[in-house]
Amino acid sequence: MSPSPPYAPLAGALAALVLVAFVASVRIGYATIDVGGALADLLAGRTSLGALVLMELRLPRAIIGALVGFSLGLAGAAMQGLLRNPLADAGVIGVSGAAAFGAVMAFYSGLSASFGLALPTGGILGAGVAVALLYALAGRGSATMTLILAGVAISSLAGALTALALNLSPNPYAATEVMFWLMGSLADRSMTHVQFAAPLLIAGWLMILVCGPALDALSLGEDTATSLGFHMARVRLLLIVGTALAVGPAVAVTGAIGFVGLVVPHLLRPLVGGRPGRLLLVSGLGGAALVLAADIAVRVVGVRPELKLGVVTALIGAPFFLLLLWRLRREA
Amino acid sequence: MAERFLAFVLAAACLGLWCGSAAAAAPARVVSINLCTDELLVQLADPAQVASVSWLSAASAGSNVADRVMDVPQNHGFAEEVVAARPDLVLAGRYTARAAVSVLRRIGVPVVDADAPGTLDQVKAEIRRVADAIGHGDRGDAMIAELERRMSRPTPVRTPKLRAAVLRPNGFTAGPGSLSDELMRRAGLVNVAAELKLDTYGQLPLETIILAGVDLLIVDGDRAGPPAIATEVLSHPILAKLGDRVRVVKIPPRLWTCYGPSIADAYDILVDAAGSAP
Repeated sequence: MSPSPPYAPLAGALAALVLVAFVASVRIGYATIDVGGALADLLAGRTSLGALVLMELRLPRAIIGALVGFSLGLAGAAMQGLLRNPLADAGVIGVSGAAAFGAVMAFYSGLSASFGLALPTGGILGAGVAVALLYALAGRGSATMTLILAGVAISSLAGALTALALNLSPNPYAATEVMFWLMGSLADRSMTHVQFAAPLLIAGWLMILVCGPALDALSLGEDTATSLGFHMARVRLLLIVGTALAVGPAVAVTGAIGFVGLVVPHLLRPLVGGRPGRLLLVSGLGGAALVLAADIAVRVVGVRPELKLGVVTALIGAPFFLLLLWRLRREA
Repeated sequence: MAERFLAFVLAAACLGLWCGSAAAAAPARVVSINLCTDELLVQLADPAQVASVSWLSAASAGSNVADRVMDVPQNHGFAEEVVAARPDLVLAGRYTARAAVSVLRRIGVPVVDADAPGTLDQVKAEIRRVADAIGHGDRGDAMIAELERRMSRPTPVRTPKLRAAVLRPNGFTAGPGSLSDELMRRAGLVNVAAELKLDTYGQLPLETIILAGVDLLIVDGDRAGPPAIATEVLSHPILAKLGDRVRVVKIPPRLWTCYGPSIADAYDILVDAAGSAP
């Protein structure tokens, strides 16, 4: 294995990248605002138009982008560690799709209008069922083929159920909203979304991050990990629940943004010496940077109506996925 | 092959059974497959002439004639339903249910395509066209005269004019070339969307509308629809925080989605808003 750069500087560099992307996301919008002036107004308690746009539109958009990106990157790395398979991404294997279906049920039934937490809860339930199902079908390092096929089945089913639920809802915009749930967008989200998603997402992150050492041990095999003192049943439960908590609320707020958890861990894996535990935090940071960058892209390319975020990540991610499959095939 | 056979059978059925009566001056059975022509048909025709209207005009939210079409058979713009209603004339919109219209034309059913008017003159022309087609030109003239009377009310003189933007679900707005734009300008308002280089009905991000400096935000009146991502933009917290900087004017979409006499009601709301304090 080639020597990898030291861990702390790598994480620091990625954190700096996230910060740069965050600031850029706040500065770059459809209209020009004087961000400095708006910030000064905000701190002085003056509600100028600039301050309002900054506080109510730009900041929530960037915060949600960073939170969701971190969640998807982290969840990708976690599932790849758990399933010991480099192709396990929430989007590819149907976890995001199932989360979207859960959120759709909560949203269009009107439940989330009277009880705000219903929306992320729906997402968590959908994601949780999918992860558990995948683990039952394709866990413990079974063949890549089984995992991908199980993912295809779950994705298709969740997508079909989402479209069906929308068609049955008395909603004149159903056709366009299927796109939102399947492709994802950060357009005109608000601080309310940040408030109800953030605590759940962070809880999910913590559950995943504490499993880092166990994932490192698991890469040596389940027996070895157990002999090293890790309680594998507990680790599995933490990772499954943690992934559901990280993916569910994220998808409930932005729809399913694909491939983030595939591309980012794969690019970073060589840089952490292939250690799945160390891959977790850096994948989260990389995911945040990628989603923020993609969201800047959909606003500057000038395609109106705005491209869905998942279009951009799929344009990057899908060819990448094919390349990855190609390499796996040659190795086999 | 099968398709050609089907077309032949349909054409034969058409010739033998009922298409012959289509040439008569006042069609006895008229089917409308478009919300806007539904409205004109119900308001201008004899009740006995109305063979079927689209389901949209029975769904109360978007329709001005929901209570008058309760007993009228509904269609969903499918050619099969229309043929089954045995129409002498079909009223359609130029941009809706095109597949059905092309089938109907192919089998010889007369179809009138109503346009989507962008000016008041075009509105009058569409009313006249539909009225003539169903054999009630006189009622069309009366409808137009009443519309002209209501649209000629004096508008407020105010400098500078108030700046307004329409905000619809999904961030859609009414740009130049739309009927909404014409009504806003006639009412003495500046349509901000026209400055933002939009097409007739374009989508605008919320921040663009807010930073363009609007005095009046014109939103859909009846908000209590089923939950939709599309309508979330209308309840975004930033709109509440704009406070008294921006006044929200509610116009139920059914008043000016179509080009019937109800646009005068929308116009009244606009004129009142244009003359009020900012």
